[in-house]
Amino acid sequence: MKRNSFLTVLLIGSLSLGLLAGCGSAPSQDAGMRNQAGTEGADRARSDPGDIVELTFTGWEASPLETEAVEKGIKIFEEQNPDIKVSYTPGLSGAEYTAKLLSAASAGSLPDIMFMQSTDYRAFASKGILLDVTDRFSGEFSLDDFIDSSREIMDFDGKVYGVSSCSVMPIIYYNKDLFDAAGVDYPKSDPSNCWTMDAFREVAKKLTSDDVYGCYGFEVDGMWPALVNENNGHYYDPADKATPQFDTTENKEVFQAIMDIRSVDGSAPDATTLSNVGMTALQMFETGKIAMLCDGSWSLQELAATDLNIGMAPLPSFKKASSSGQAHLHCINAKTEHPEEAWKFVKFLSGEEYQTEMISTGLWMPNRKSWYTEDGLKIWYRKDVHGDDYMNMLRYFEDAQADERPFTLTTETTDAITEEMQLFFSGDKSLNDAMSSAQSRMMDAYRASIQ
Amino acid sequence: MSGKAVKINFKKKLNRDDGWAWLMLAPNVIGFLMFMLVPMAATFVLSFMQYDMLTPARFVGSDNYKTLIHDPIVWEVTWNTIVYTILTVPIGLCLSLLLAVALDNIRHFKRFFRGAYFLPSITSMVVVAIVWQWIYNPEYGIFNWVLSWFGIPAQKWLTSSATSLLSLAIVGIWKKLGYDMIIFLGGLQGISTSYYEAAQLDGASKVQIFLRITVPLLRPTIMFAFIMAMISSFQVFDQVSLMTKGGPGRSSSVLVHYLYQNAFQYFKMGYACAIAYLLFAIVLILTAINMRQEKRMREIY
Repeated sequence: MKRNSFLTVLLIGSLSLGLLAGCGSAPSQDAGMRNQAGTEGADRARSDPGDIVELTFTGWEASPLETEAVEKGIKIFEEQNPDIKVSYTPGLSGAEYTAKLLSAASAGSLPDIMFMQSTDYRAFASKGILLDVTDRFSGEFSLDDFIDSSREIMDFDGKVYGVSSCSVMPIIYYNKDLFDAAGVDYPKSDPSNCWTMDAFREVAKKLTSDDVYGCYGFEVDGMWPALVNENNGHYYDPADKATPQFDTTENKEVFQAIMDIRSVDGSAPDATTLSNVGMTALQMFETGKIAMLCDGSWSLQELAATDLNIGMAPLPSFKKASSSGQAHLHCINAKTEHPEEAWKFVKFLSGEEYQTEMISTGLWMPNRKSWYTEDGLKIWYRKDVHGDDYMNMLRYFEDAQADERPFTLTTETTDAITEEMQLFFSGDKSLNDAMSSAQSRMMDAYRASIQ
Repeated sequence: MSGKAVKINFKKKLNRDDGWAWLMLAPNVIGFLMFMLVPMAATFVLSFMQYDMLTPARFVGSDNYKTLIHDPIVWEVTWNTIVYTILTVPIGLCLSLLLAVALDNIRHFKRFFRGAYFLPSITSMVVVAIVWQWIYNPEYGIFNWVLSWFGIPAQKWLTSSATSLLSLAIVGIWKKLGYDMIIFLGGLQGISTSYYEAAQLDGASKVQIFLRITVPLLRPTIMFAFIMAMISSFQVFDQVSLMTKGGPGRSSSVLVHYLYQNAFQYFKMGYACAIAYLLFAIVLILTAINMRQEKRMREIY
């Protein structure tokens, strides 16, 4: 009996010791593997595994091509810096990405480097979890070289907490074949001489037939800041870029015009139609169901890969013709153990090798003024991808205003606009009610966010 | 001498029950403390603070509760939650009770039907959401197609603010049906067949038997299922988040969805905790009322 229990104790003891040893040995094994991988990858790899810095990097997958390009970029970076290894995890997008970053930050498990949605940038920066890179940034780049739309978003009270990745903004794509069939002239791509909203609506009406919608896309929330700006309207007071200023006559005119395209002219489908037919706007456009599509500049990547006969034009103008740009930022975790290596990588992401890959396919647009010069163009401009219309619109892209959605410390303000305007477009609320309740909800959220 | 005394003492201790009881209960008790009581207390404390999970919490007194009272969205989502509960609980329970009685009475394929109706309960909500999104699809969905047989015009279901909450409620009923049915089946096993035989001898109709025997004798089970259904429908979140994200507008947003948004998207953990206590208060009051009713019923039977 006694012997038995003694044996049991011995057995349990040795088992638990074994477990402990197992746990202990895992990391060293891992290090060994890493070392091996390093030597295989490049001859320059050091023999001591302790010298290799491993950086974690998180983003989301806007398109499979983008993830591919990111992985490719990382490979080039690792070849140039054999002592740094970057492991990339693309994940959720939109509000779920915010939630993921927030919970990771509170648990202290934020990656070293991350994509930051421009609408989350100020919120996270103000909480002190992003590394202030102002000094490093000014040693490497000049803020003035960045186009206004990127600079104004990056510059948060004179400090920089992340480097703008690129620029993307809404523009109009049109199907030339459908224009020809309806006998309508192509729109001018010259922004100083482009169509007004009224002229645009006339064109859309002419293009609309039994199985073609004249246009689509204006009821999508990402397109509103640009249109509102064209009518000298704003989301936030331009003086401080923070106080909500949404319920204005200028903004109302724009939202009414968007509504009228569908409800008065009948030239646009309902915002819910697409989800109903199970196609994206881009697919509807590609299959000739929509003649003109208001969509982000990133769609050029997919459209350029098709053999469709497509043209590009500026957004229909109100008081002026302009678009508004933004893009995600590359930020560094304030608590990273390797700020130097992380900065090196962020610098690489803004460098020519990585940027050219993204920009020359049409997914991104450059955010540096020097890239819009004649010499700069040589780096990235591809006639077969970008075409002549794009060339005519270069100043339009470069001079775009900053998308105002990032000027907030909380996405609650942006959500208020989206929800209220959705109710307006679905006919559940009058324009005045939707605008005023959006404004009051924005004010509440704004006040709470600055406390 | 003393050695023997220690041994006896030890043996005594070994034979005492309460020590063992605590030891055996320990996993549960520790789990309860770690995952229920401590978080509940922490939530209560945090509801008096301004906290974003990133910077240190700041005590703000009852500010969060004052904001809550004046926040129209909170009342809108509370109302939505109540509507959802009213839609799902009574209909869901009635259907599952009828189903249980029907399954109790059929002779063949009993196990098959039991399994078939229980299947949705063990299916992941993500899968259910995707399937139902297709069922609700206004262009190709099977739901509109079936309704068209009865001359009911096509609805936009999830994408219209008039029907979004109703659509979620239908999914909720469908998913919970099997679970409640199993509980009722268990309750039905406990009713002695002698009552039924006596009633049949007396020539009672099927409806009479159901209303006069089955329902009254099943009351404790119904009560249990009712309370559980009530609590879970007040906590509904997953299908909202997966299928409509609370939209269009706020038309299908519920308390827990708004709570989640505040905590993890709007950096307002303190306020989210206050909303959690609002939910807690509602559920507590409803459960208390139910318990009292149950007590009164026990006095009758």
